[in-house]
Amino acid sequence: MSGSTALDVRWPIGGLFTALGLLLAGYGLGTPGNQGQYTSVNINLWWGLIMLLFGLLVLLGAWRSRRNLHGGLSAASVEGRATEGREHRLGLEHEE
Amino acid sequence: MSPTPVTDLTAVDYAVMALYFAAVLGVGWILRRVMRTSTDFFLSGRSLPAWITGIAFISANLGAQEVIGMGASGAKYGIATSHFYWVGAIPAMVFVGLFMMPFYYGSRARSVPEYLRLRFDEKTRTLNAVSFAFMTIFSSGVSMYAMGKLFNLLLGWSFDVSIMVSAVIVLSYVLLGGLTSAIYNEVLQFFLIVFGFIPLVWLGLSSIGGWEGLTARLAEISSARGLAPDAYTSAWSNLGSASQNPVGVEWFGLVMGLGFVLSFGYWCTDFLVVQRAMAADSMTAARRTPLIAALPKMLFPFLVILPGMIAVAFTGTNAGAGQGLVPAKLTAAGAPLLDAAGHVVLDYDLATPMMLVHLFPSGMLGLGLTALLASFMSGMAGNVTAFNTVWTYDIYQSHIRRGASDAHYLTMGRIATVGGILLSVAAAYLASAFNNIMDLLQLVFAFVNAPLFATFALGMFWRRTTGHGAFTGLLSGTVAAAIHHGLTLPAGASPGVKGGFLGLAHTYPSELAQTFWTAIIAWSTCFVVTIVVSMATRPRPADELRGLVYSLTPRPADEGLSWIQRPWVLGVVVLALTAALNFVFY
Repeated sequence: MSGSTALDVRWPIGGLFTALGLLLAGYGLGTPGNQGQYTSVNINLWWGLIMLLFGLLVLLGAWRSRRNLHGGLSAASVEGRATEGREHRLGLEHEE
Repeated sequence: MSPTPVTDLTAVDYAVMALYFAAVLGVGWILRRVMRTSTDFFLSGRSLPAWITGIAFISANLGAQEVIGMGASGAKYGIATSHFYWVGAIPAMVFVGLFMMPFYYGSRARSVPEYLRLRFDEKTRTLNAVSFAFMTIFSSGVSMYAMGKLFNLLLGWSFDVSIMVSAVIVLSYVLLGGLTSAIYNEVLQFFLIVFGFIPLVWLGLSSIGGWEGLTARLAEISSARGLAPDAYTSAWSNLGSASQNPVGVEWFGLVMGLGFVLSFGYWCTDFLVVQRAMAADSMTAARRTPLIAALPKMLFPFLVILPGMIAVAFTGTNAGAGQGLVPAKLTAAGAPLLDAAGHVVLDYDLATPMMLVHLFPSGMLGLGLTALLASFMSGMAGNVTAFNTVWTYDIYQSHIRRGASDAHYLTMGRIATVGGILLSVAAAYLASAFNNIMDLLQLVFAFVNAPLFATFALGMFWRRTTGHGAFTGLLSGTVAAAIHHGLTLPAGASPGVKGGFLGLAHTYPSELAQTFWTAIIAWSTCFVVTIVVSMATRPRPADELRGLVYSLTPRPADEGLSWIQRPWVLGVVVLALTAALNFVFY
């Protein structure tokens, strides 16, 4: 019952995508002519920015719910407890 | 192997990879403190919310076979490959979530073989556990081998170094953080794969004139092969007879063989995926796991199949004797390999990797290759975490050492993790030395897997099924599969691993058609034999089967959940969306 309290998985995901986004966007900004032969879009820059945005949104979600077990889905714990209770009443659960 | 790599990486590409490695190892490092009991290590303490287990549910399966293999099938068979998703995986995932999860999760079994022990008997469990343990090791070995070969060809990396580095990274994070670490990294890898492949598909489509351009180009190719112009771009309209479509199968064989037997067999009984749902924090979360997984899963054809189709259709590049970006297979002397009819044999497995290296500039290339690495690693970690659990609970605890302390089994789980990775590495080298041995082993696994769903379906929904019935049914299903395979051949193949080793009774138009019919025969045999033997043997009393069989288990109640959270509602939504996709690409 301890695995859950250790780490909200959104921290590493948000962190990785923020870092990757900064890296790619920065690289794209510094090398404007480098987009391969099939597009005129600076794909490193734009895709880097999209990844950065995704990373920041995920971090924001983790930060806002940092007191819940897994963050955001507060239902995960509330509803989880409710279901456990129901299972118990129905005899679906074997005591360990 | 190949002396000149296809492409070179720059510092920014290596920086992308380094960030990814740091993230996966960091997750394992942070989680290391919380692995106190064997339940923490093997089942994540049954504490994860449904969205995490749901993503892990598809990600554990998103290994090399999926990313490389589905791209290869897309190049070979076109959009019909999406049947693996829209006829196969999705309906099976809805079924396991709605109907089977109450027994897996509710019985408090710690693994799929353990459910078989509770429902039937020790011998059925051991049969399943041993074959499953072998299978996980060999599939992880095969995917390591594929990865080592691919990175050697593309980047000139040494085969040994690629294998050792990926093995050490997966070993570290599984050893440190157990199943939680594997699952967290699977979630991370899932997003990496999605973000690595979306721009690939976008770039590919925009450079060949969108879906219109792709359809027009593939129509030329299929007409040149004597098929209808839309043979590669419509999923159903040419399935009336086996000769009209590139898959070489008609709708019945496809729906029954792939949809019913193979997909239900895999998604409903394979512990690799079911383990993710068992880690959920409640019954409702466990049931929602495959349903949540089905939502992104139904869109995966666009991510993994389209790159293969685009690769074949690509014009204006020079792939030598190949087609589009797909190169020809080479003989040992370096000349293009020709089949019996004199056509060039294409190396379809390179379709997706070639798209990555040709379309992406440096930077994005690092991201794309990291996504590929992530898929290899999540597949490997999925296999290893399923292996260590089945080994420890179903083989070691039940046959070698009973009644030891929990700490003992936790240690054994860690040893099994190291052992599992070492065995996978050995299997990878075995594959590189004797390619045919691996083909043969995969064939045997196909025989073992095909009948499984009949056993589970009867066990869960017919209380009269007995342990003897299940065991003999499984064995006879496997034997029937082997006999059918031994008596048939796909067109153009010679007797041996491809079949026909017992004589030749029938020739199928393609390997897939043969595979589907082998599965149908294995399933039917298992189904009939299990029923017959069960009728002749003594059933277990009803009160021993409570919680294990449908008719003796109270329905999970959904009251207290808002309508959108109910598994039934989610299941219907998933099926309706899947039907719509089938219709759009009819």
